[in-house]
Amino acid sequence: MRRHIPAVSARRTIVLAAAAAITLAAAACSSSSSSSSTPSGSTSSTPAGAASSASSTPAAGTVGTSQCGTKPGVAATGTPIPLGAIATNQPGTSFTDIPNMANAYFACVNANGGINGHPIKLYIETEQTNPAQIAADAKQLVQTDHVVGIVGNTSIIECSVNSSYWQKLGFYVIDSGIAPECYSTSNSAAVNMGPRYSSDGAVQYALSQHVSKIVFDQSNVPGTGYIAAGPAALAKAANTPIVQLTENVPISDANSVAIKEVNDAGPNGAVILNFTPPEALIILQAAQKLGLEDRVKLWGCSTPCNTDFLAQSLGPKWNSKLFVNAELTPPDGTSTPSMNLYKAILKQYGSSVQGGIGSFSQMGFTEAEIMVHALESVTGAYTVQSVNAAIKAVKDFNTGMLCQLWTYGSYPLHIPNNADYTVTANNGKMTTVQGCTPISAADPQIAQYRSVAGTAPNAPTSS
Amino acid sequence: MPPWQDFEPFIVSGLALGGVYALSGVGLVVLYRATGVLYLAFGAVGALGALITWSLVTRAGAPGWVGWLACVAVAAAVTLGYGLLFGPALARRDPLVKAVATIGLTLILYGVMDLLWTTSGGQARSLTLPTDNGGFTVASIQVTWTQVIALGAGVVLTAGTGTFLRFTKLGTAMRAMANDRDITATLGVPVRKVEAAAWVGCGALAGIAGLLLADLVALDATTLTFLVISSLAAVLIARLRSITVTFVAAIVIGLLHDLLTPITSLSNYRDMTPFVIAAIALLVLSRHQVMTQSREEA
Repeated sequence: MRRHIPAVSARRTIVLAAAAAITLAAAACSSSSSSSSTPSGSTSSTPAGAASSASSTPAAGTVGTSQCGTKPGVAATGTPIPLGAIATNQPGTSFTDIPNMANAYFACVNANGGINGHPIKLYIETEQTNPAQIAADAKQLVQTDHVVGIVGNTSIIECSVNSSYWQKLGFYVIDSGIAPECYSTSNSAAVNMGPRYSSDGAVQYALSQHVSKIVFDQSNVPGTGYIAAGPAALAKAANTPIVQLTENVPISDANSVAIKEVNDAGPNGAVILNFTPPEALIILQAAQKLGLEDRVKLWGCSTPCNTDFLAQSLGPKWNSKLFVNAELTPPDGTSTPSMNLYKAILKQYGSSVQGGIGSFSQMGFTEAEIMVHALESVTGAYTVQSVNAAIKAVKDFNTGMLCQLWTYGSYPLHIPNNADYTVTANNGKMTTVQGCTPISAADPQIAQYRSVAGTAPNAPTSS
Repeated sequence: MPPWQDFEPFIVSGLALGGVYALSGVGLVVLYRATGVLYLAFGAVGALGALITWSLVTRAGAPGWVGWLACVAVAAAVTLGYGLLFGPALARRDPLVKAVATIGLTLILYGVMDLLWTTSGGQARSLTLPTDNGGFTVASIQVTWTQVIALGAGVVLTAGTGTFLRFTKLGTAMRAMANDRDITATLGVPVRKVEAAAWVGCGALAGIAGLLLADLVALDATTLTFLVISSLAAVLIARLRSITVTFVAAIVIGLLHDLLTPITSLSNYRDMTPFVIAAIALLVLSRHQVMTQSREEA
């Protein structure tokens, strides 16, 4: 019995196998490309489900959620103020924690007087990186839900798809950005730095440690050129050579990736990664297993690596070897009123925020408090015109979550968060090694923003 | 072209990668030879088992061996469940239909994993085995015992399953059943039991592979589920028949893939390696077959 399978069937199955490979590859590509970008602000604290325990700290317990509104304990019963959000939610990539946290904040506001007695109603649309779907979501929000403002958007391509639509209708979006248009257009302002400026921060820290060479490696997805331009400009300004690499994701050969990075960087160089936490972890663990972690001067990472998940998975071998950009105030050990309110809201209203305490929910909180601040300044009816004029007028607002005061303003581009922290892996936690540091204006986009908007004042540390 | 020394570490990593491909590839061929089903859910089933192991060990604090056994048991149970539920209904269907049905299982498992082990909020997980802590150095690269075990598992699996299918009664029954289920049944072979054994064996294999790959590659549902794509190239080269050819092809693919890494102009295209090699191999094999047939006809 030498031939077990009829030849015709076998041939057909081979054809099928090839077809299946293509089908699965397409699915994998879809997943991988989506999983390769984050709003450059990942969790910095607890795993899913840990919110309740984490937020039951004494600090959180000292702040009541009644601070959300102007009439503590009085539910808002007026006409709802409709707002909208669009977030990516697909296998491997979900940014819904951000609008969900914004919604938790609004629930808190609604339970404590609302906005002049009006509750806020947030319509959240989810998308799967499909431009047609994303455009339809925007139309749904505007034409069916009649939203008067957009807050909490966090999507891989939403800014690219809808930017001109929002502009045409006069919406000034408050979001967490990923795509270039989230930062380079007149009607989108993000609370996070996004992958480019976060990578800038990581490269900037490495340069401050006098490394002889930078190897900057990121996922091979659309937009890598835009991101890479920032680190390239910083390295050029410091007269330090830089090697730009891209990797297809999901990474299936992390060993070769790690070897190449280390070989290219050399013993006095730095390897800077711009990947999602799972992909970065794969590379860093491969480096550890191959015994490569000490073969470069330091390893760096953009904000997505700022997660205790990563620090725990890496273990103590990476203590003070991995330096990560952090663009929001680290929640651990911070006991300011804003941080305590954030934790209290998360505990009481944030049951749908899967990631618990962390950068995603911090971003949602920050966006919501900016929106509430804007709505409170509206006099008269809440219309698209009045609400967006109020959003645009937000200036030097202290969010309590960022290094600097936050401004929208009438600018052709918006990078209102352009100062960062640096944290490092330390026995399973990420701990701060460098306080608020402005991102270098060697990045031409940062220079352009500061030339039109100026340098924002630092936020008071006690807020 | 970089100097030879630059390639040396990539030989080591390439062998490890080839071992990874071999583990999945050999598993696919084993089940195909035993049941006639191209089990494309092999990676997803292994990923599910590995994630359950992670939950048991990391979250519930269970001992490592409990997690490992659970991984294999879950993978075997899911595969057996699929086989029992859909195997009889699909038994007389075209191999294409059978394979497509397993894509359905793949996508269901993938969705379940995404739901239960969400990556929202930046969660990153890892699974390490005790064998990661020891090893030796080759070409300035540390080789862990896990990598050695993975490569060894491929060899043992290749030799073991080849022997099993050829020389044991159950193995012979499996081959006969894959060839023609009805005739095998008329010969008195308990086809349901034999099929169940094949599904359980394949599931267990997927569990073992999932455990090793979660350590060697990544504990990530997407990565592990779709790793099967690259392994399919080795399976195609072996034309779904030879376990030995699958193993050798997987090693060659892994080696070539990693040896392209230091060549800057080709590095970004190295993920095409499995499919380019498969395409070339299939073209050569088809040509050889045509020429042989022509000679026979002449």
